Amino acid sequence: MVRIVKDLYEYRELLAVLAWKNVIVRYKQAYLGLVWTILKPVLLVLIFSIVRSFVGIETGSVPYVVLTFGALIPWVFFQESTSEGVNSVVSNAVLVKKIYFPRVIFPLTAVLTKVVELFINFIILAVLMAIYHITPTVHALWVPLIILYTVVVALCISMAGAAMNVYYRDVATALPVVLSLFMYLSPIIYPLAMVKKTLLENQAAGKWSETLFTLYTINPLVGIIDGFQKAMFYGVAPDFGVIWQGLILVTVALPISYFIFKRAEAYFADVI
Amino acid sequence: MTMPIIEVDHVTKEYQLGQLKSLKQTFLATASRLVGKEVERPVPFKALDGVSFSIEEGEVVGIIGTNGAGKSTLLKLISNISKPSSGNITVQGKIAPLIEVGAGLIGDLTGRENIYLNGTILGLSTKKIKYKFDEIVAFAELEEFIDTPVKRYSSGMQVRLGFSIATVADADILIVDEVLAVGDLAFQRKCFDRMEGLIKRQGKTVLLVSHNIRQIERICSRAILLDRGRILSDGVPDEVCELFIERSNEKIEMQTRQMNFSGRNLRSTGEVELVSYGLVDEAGNPTDVVTMGEPTTIRGIFKVDEAIERPEVVYGFHTIDFFYIASMGTASVSDRRDFVPGHNVVDCHLPSVPLVPGVYCLRLGVLDQYRREMLCGDMIVVFNVVSCNEKTVHMPILGIVSIPSSWDFSNTDNKQVMQQLNLGGET
Repeated sequence: MVRIVKDLYEYRELLAVLAWKNVIVRYKQAYLGLVWTILKPVLLVLIFSIVRSFVGIETGSVPYVVLTFGALIPWVFFQESTSEGVNSVVSNAVLVKKIYFPRVIFPLTAVLTKVVELFINFIILAVLMAIYHITPTVHALWVPLIILYTVVVALCISMAGAAMNVYYRDVATALPVVLSLFMYLSPIIYPLAMVKKTLLENQAAGKWSETLFTLYTINPLVGIIDGFQKAMFYGVAPDFGVIWQGLILVTVALPISYFIFKRAEAYFADVI
Repeated sequence: MTMPIIEVDHVTKEYQLGQLKSLKQTFLATASRLVGKEVERPVPFKALDGVSFSIEEGEVVGIIGTNGAGKSTLLKLISNISKPSSGNITVQGKIAPLIEVGAGLIGDLTGRENIYLNGTILGLSTKKIKYKFDEIVAFAELEEFIDTPVKRYSSGMQVRLGFSIATVADADILIVDEVLAVGDLAFQRKCFDRMEGLIKRQGKTVLLVSHNIRQIERICSRAILLDRGRILSDGVPDEVCELFIERSNEKIEMQTRQMNFSGRNLRSTGEVELVSYGLVDEAGNPTDVVTMGEPTTIRGIFKVDEAIERPEVVYGFHTIDFFYIASMGTASVSDRRDFVPGHNVVDCHLPSVPLVPGVYCLRLGVLDQYRREMLCGDMIVVFNVVSCNEKTVHMPILGIVSIPSSWDFSNTDNKQVMQQLNLGGET
């Protein structure tokens, strides 16, 4: 583990330069440039708000717009870095075939690139919070940790996904479908409080309610999104009661994912 | 004792031939393997087959071979891009991880941005790139274009930029695959000088793949000839290259012999038909082997339907790679004969074959008296020049033509001779 980190530290400049390249290449011939980064969550918030006006979702003290945007920040970051990460090896086929450096750098840079875009969305969030007079408390310091956790989750899927995608391109095609499913399985349109209320208080699924709730929280995004909202808007610490389930999953999955990647990388240049 | 910088030990690389299997086939194959049935596995293609050699520090090794001999595969394995199917490769020292010059250039980025990107990929620190930046740009001669996206560069410009970045990287081992093939002559010259500088002054180890045999002979201290994944020869460049040229010549000779000479190599207006063409020995029998320095005759037989007044006939030699050596024509012959209807035989006698041993071709041209081309073609006949004396060296090393010469040795103690030669001498 230490060795892996040390190896990567040696390649830090390459990581930085490749991430910078990704950002530049993406926006170089796009007129709107970085505006696209903001447009995605903003449009989604708009759509959700319209949906909400029909369905009626209880959000408590924080306005729905802010809450949803707060949920979308980690979600969009996760979604984009995962799809970028899964495609990273294949889209760099030229480099893979001609130049050697540790291949893990590809999914890593893909995720890093998205951190840049994440910061831009934070600016919008700050504006929104100012409009609605929400001041962050000291608990906002949890946010960097939550983002780091999101990076790890994204890497988990990216590494194994990128490796498999080299062999079967189906992976990259299937990913958006799976991810959009997961968007509804994560507390984005609705807050986690609603799920809790339905399952834990009202016992909507009878004796299965508790189990169902645990299953729901295995999705690491549940803890991430809820934690983000709590730390940012409610000024309280993230609720570990909904985080540990996902954390266990990630702790198990990360080494497996890395192992799959390492096993496959020797033959990338041959099959890509 | 020094450790070899690169050690290749019984390396084999296999590739699976054919397409990716469909999901159904994969499942069926796995299933039947699980129940213990023997599954028919496709025979892998061996790109490299048990290759072993080691390279010492400072050696400049040229790798030659025909297409598909395994040259690039070998470089890929050494630079860690791909792993061998079996065998081991040990590399001591930092390797410039670059198989193809300009491989890491990104079209959307400008030349400047690419220098930073590619430099970092090659392991240079940002500080070092900044320091070397002007040198890189100047060498690539791209001062004006450095802020233009690389995708708008010509291919020559891209290669120049790539080469320029690659050669400032401070690796111990430099691997280059067919670089000097692109770029104009002046730039090739510059690259060549820089490569020599890297090799001679900095003592870098270089692995070079090229189809330019002369280049390999010139800069390499050692050459390895690969053929279908095996090492055919490994040693002094002169000998290895000679073997390679010999083999290529044989192949070309075979291919050319299979072609019908009246076929595709001839351009004809139809007035003159070529019946036969080639070398004949003293008895008048066709032959395709002549001895260097011995007399020979080139004979062409032409069939015409209508008489042609004073045609000009040209016979010539060229090498297999179309280097024209000499042409003999009837332009200066004062009593040139007309072609009469029927068969006309035109003989060109050479008192001594002026070519060094090797494989050559005959070309031919027939023009009318106003120098309008009626029949012409290259590589119509392939023939061998052999030597009566075994010790003669082969064509690419010694040259192409053999000029008859005689030698004199004299003793310079004679004062008179020395004064004649302007060597002074004691007075």
